[in-house]
Amino acid sequence: MATENEQQSGIGKQGDADIKRGPLERWVGAAIKNPKRAYRAMFYVATVFFLVTTLFPFYWLLVLALTPNNLISDMGLLPKGFNPEVFITMFERVPFHLYMFNSFVLGLSTTIIVLLLASLAGYVFGRLRFPGRSALMLGILAISYFPPAAFFLPLFELFTGGTDIVLGPVTVSSPDLFNTPAPMVLPFSALFMPLSIFILTTFYGQIPDGLEDAARVEGTTRLGALFRVIIPLSAPGVATAGVLTFISVYNEFFFSFLMNNGEASSWAPIVAGILKYQGQFDTPYNLMAAASIVGVLPVAILVIVAQERIVSGLTAGALKE
Amino acid sequence: MGDVTLEHVTKRYEDVTAVDDMNLAINDGEFICLVGPSGCGKSTTMEMIAGLTMPTEGEVFIGGREVTNLPPKDRGIAMVFQNIALFPHMDVYDNISFGLRLRKYDKEEIDRRVERASDIVQLEGMLDRMPDEMSGGQRQRVAIARAIVRNPEVFLMDEPLANLDAKLRVHMRTELQRLHKELDTTIIYVTHDQAEAMTMSDRIAVIDSGQLQQIDPPLVCYNEPANLFVAGFIGSPSMNFVDGEVTEAGFHGKNVEVDFDPADVGVSPGDDVTLGVRPEDVYTEDEQAGIAHPTKRIEATTDVLEPMGDEIFVYLLLSEDATTSMDDASEGMSDQLLMSVDPDSSITEDQDVSVVLDRAKLHLFDTETGEAIQHGIATTTTTSTDSSTPAESDD
Repeated sequence: MATENEQQSGIGKQGDADIKRGPLERWVGAAIKNPKRAYRAMFYVATVFFLVTTLFPFYWLLVLALTPNNLISDMGLLPKGFNPEVFITMFERVPFHLYMFNSFVLGLSTTIIVLLLASLAGYVFGRLRFPGRSALMLGILAISYFPPAAFFLPLFELFTGGTDIVLGPVTVSSPDLFNTPAPMVLPFSALFMPLSIFILTTFYGQIPDGLEDAARVEGTTRLGALFRVIIPLSAPGVATAGVLTFISVYNEFFFSFLMNNGEASSWAPIVAGILKYQGQFDTPYNLMAAASIVGVLPVAILVIVAQERIVSGLTAGALKE
Repeated sequence: MGDVTLEHVTKRYEDVTAVDDMNLAINDGEFICLVGPSGCGKSTTMEMIAGLTMPTEGEVFIGGREVTNLPPKDRGIAMVFQNIALFPHMDVYDNISFGLRLRKYDKEEIDRRVERASDIVQLEGMLDRMPDEMSGGQRQRVAIARAIVRNPEVFLMDEPLANLDAKLRVHMRTELQRLHKELDTTIIYVTHDQAEAMTMSDRIAVIDSGQLQQIDPPLVCYNEPANLFVAGFIGSPSMNFVDGEVTEAGFHGKNVEVDFDPADVGVSPGDDVTLGVRPEDVYTEDEQAGIAHPTKRIEATTDVLEPMGDEIFVYLLLSEDATTSMDDASEGMSDQLLMSVDPDSSITEDQDVSVVLDRAKLHLFDTETGEAIQHGIATTTTTSTDSSTPAESDD
């Protein structure tokens, strides 16, 4: 047996020297000896795959934007021509900056409403113990899975004055809010609230009771302790919830498209602005692509800026527990 | 004024009674320790004084004012927490001035007060540091400065030294006493460490299972414990207990007998009683000259020695079949006795010794209720010296 083993190892060594291997075989041989190489390779493959699938659409938008509209057919991977003026033309054709402003207003007001209400809910769910707490949490989770479209018809009726509201002896029709921010901000707030509640519940629940007690003994109310101590210490969580809400509103299509008449003066957001380029006789893909790029930029910048904010933990080493 | 009164205060959680009908009267300027084992309700009691927890029943008064339903901020109290609880996102100055800023004091007044408070706790030059840049002791000073800066009527301290290392803890103890002398406000201090309570407080409130066991100056709690719990809790190492029965001749335990006239002590023959004696009141035969009223000799074998430097703790086994397991120790320690002897003593392990107890320092408890019956049996009997002489011949 001993000699056999010796022979085997001897054969292996000779084989390394004798057999001619290609680069792939050599790499496989090395990866078998050192599995970390294989994992690293898989990591790069996966990363490249995700980078291509996420970034290619943006590249494609850029290609379309730079190609003059009459040349857009049989496209390859490179733009046919170079037409940067498109980024000026798009603002001349349609007041796209106004649509962007509307989107910002809708996004910010929704974010503020959501953060305020979700903070209160997060405090209650994260820091208080009461009967029915998990049932309520579950209810919120369930509602967050409802398809938004299911709410659309009744809400449309309500916001366009089609619903009678009985107030004792008086019956009034609901106010006509069509073409105002309200019929968008209200459903957005309701739809995106559950996610923020969950995020903030987790963060607020982690703040040690001692800090809240200390704030209350020092002279705040419970609400004061929430705003002066708990929220500042949960800044990464609040930032995450805020950014996610803002991006969700910025990206929202359904209510944004249907709750106004598509004019910038009627608080229509970016999506309406992009569709506005479509004329009766032509479809200027280059302008629409350019508008899409401009529309995406603020969110991209926001994410890059907020990323640091989210990563930087404020509470590190704060408390001896 | 900083007097605090609890009247029939009870706190019940769903199935647990954390504090049961607590009555406490704490005088203005007093340093009082609430002491007891973990989960005895001492922290809950303090939280109810602070207003962080609402009592289920009963009333709380601070400075003669009923505050039972007032929020913490309106009670005129300040609190130092076990986990220190500095606001990690604020520097030292902002932490100390937090309460003042909330109360809208003007800038100069805040500066003046913060400066004075940081002087008292010796934090000069650290006002712009963040809490995570400071050591445990410094953080604790900041927490104390934050408490004193508002000139509260009552200080509440919930195990403020529990997270500090041993040396720093002893140091902060003296600092707190100095602070109390300087400020002369009421301090209510929660601790599970009876040594802390003994060394610092004017009075100790011993709490067990949510009930007040005894509230007295430290030495009274030590010398005249109200019941078995206090006797066992105050003092380290804890008191020896021997279960036994009252006979016509006195106390009869398994290995220990003490002569007295039951009528003098207020017990009658047949009563189950527990005899308590502290380790330092157990003497070897050689040392017994120093005490006026020794008991009969008790034969024992030394088991384990614990030299502490200034004294040696000796575990004595009183009978042949004695075991050293903890189970036996909890059942009245009838077979074991802990003795403290002079460090120069030549005592060794597994040595046969005769020991006596100091009759003046014996405690007699009702085994059933745990209540103390008598502290010091020597004073009640005139025949103590006589009774020890025949005892020797018996052996």
